[in-house]
Amino acid sequence: MKVYELSGTTLSVALFTDVANSKELLELMQAGTLEPEVALLNASLIPDIFPVLAAAHKTLVAKSRDSLTTRTLHSELVYNYSGSKHISESLKRCGISDSTTYVLVARFGASEEEMIAVKTLIKGKEIDLEELEGRANKPQIQKHYKITGVELGISTLGDAITCRIAARDAL
Amino acid sequence: MDTEGNVENTSLVLIKQGAEARVFESTFAGRKSVVKERFSKKYRHPTLDSKLTLKRLNAEARCMTKARRLGVSTPVLYAVDPISHTLTFEYVEGPSIKDIFLEFGLQGVVEEKMDDIALQIGDTIGKLHDGGVVHGDLTTSNMLWRSGSNQLILIDFGLSFVSTLPEDKAVDLYVLERALLSMHSSCGNVMDKILAAYRKSSKQWSATFNKLGQVRLRGRKRTMIG
Repeated sequence: MKVYELSGTTLSVALFTDVANSKELLELMQAGTLEPEVALLNASLIPDIFPVLAAAHKTLVAKSRDSLTTRTLHSELVYNYSGSKHISESLKRCGISDSTTYVLVARFGASEEEMIAVKTLIKGKEIDLEELEGRANKPQIQKHYKITGVELGISTLGDAITCRIAARDAL
Repeated sequence: MDTEGNVENTSLVLIKQGAEARVFESTFAGRKSVVKERFSKKYRHPTLDSKLTLKRLNAEARCMTKARRLGVSTPVLYAVDPISHTLTFEYVEGPSIKDIFLEFGLQGVVEEKMDDIALQIGDTIGKLHDGGVVHGDLTTSNMLWRSGSNQLILIDFGLSFVSTLPEDKAVDLYVLERALLSMHSSCGNVMDKILAAYRKSSKQWSATFNKLGQVRLRGRKRTMIG
């Protein structure tokens, strides 16, 4: 797991594979009783941590202005990562489903105890963030973010996603 | 547990101040970044001012990202903030084409490098125009040469707009031609090399070329008759 400093707070991130209890996690999250509250992202859409940090930055700015679009800080992170304005579709695609086994967990301002709790909450194998690039589903990412081969000639996948996250509200 | 990266724009160092915006150097999520802030113009009516500022901010973000989709290198956009009127993007390491050409003027032209640069400029503008984006301020100071990869990066889309009219594209090229003539006349005829590359890159070059001939005769502004 890794902790990133962001706008006076932190974002703790951990990557899990072979997650067996997505269905349970999803139910807890939808009931609002997930403890501690975390963002669960479909990690196959994440080729690099940088766009997640860009989405997190956007989330914190919205939070500081009391202008969150979704119900919680952590669902806002998932929504922002999608680069789209369609909320339910974003949560469905960039969040987890019943059958998701590869998950990136993120929490703002987490204490060490909370991150230990997160690790017991998720029934899976924790792996290094370095594995993001190799495990990313490139065709799926290109389809979701509408990234063409022409753009990839001058850009990495992560940078292309970052641009879409940043420019969403300008479009 | 290790900690890294600082997303907050804590240390802002002013790099440049223009008529429309200030440009700062900062860091974003551990990467070196540039923050461009459009400030308000006190002589304008406040409502009009905020509308114009926002419209231009969004247009710049849109054109920059659209250019990337067309395969034109521009800095990676990190964040757009409509409240503080700022854009945050990648800090590109390398000199501007203006600095390179000025040095050519003093030290003599390095032909191989000049050809590479002219080729990339023409190719880049061709791609941009074919995709319907007009840069609006093509000067050598708005082009950077990325160190290491020797790649042309187009910056400052503050005056960019979407258009498919040959007229707008021709004016875009004309502005560049005038800029080259006034700043870099000692570099030889760079424009011919650029146009040769543009011709290869743009499918609509003949319409644009014809218009460019007309624009050269009358200048950037259109004559208004009737």
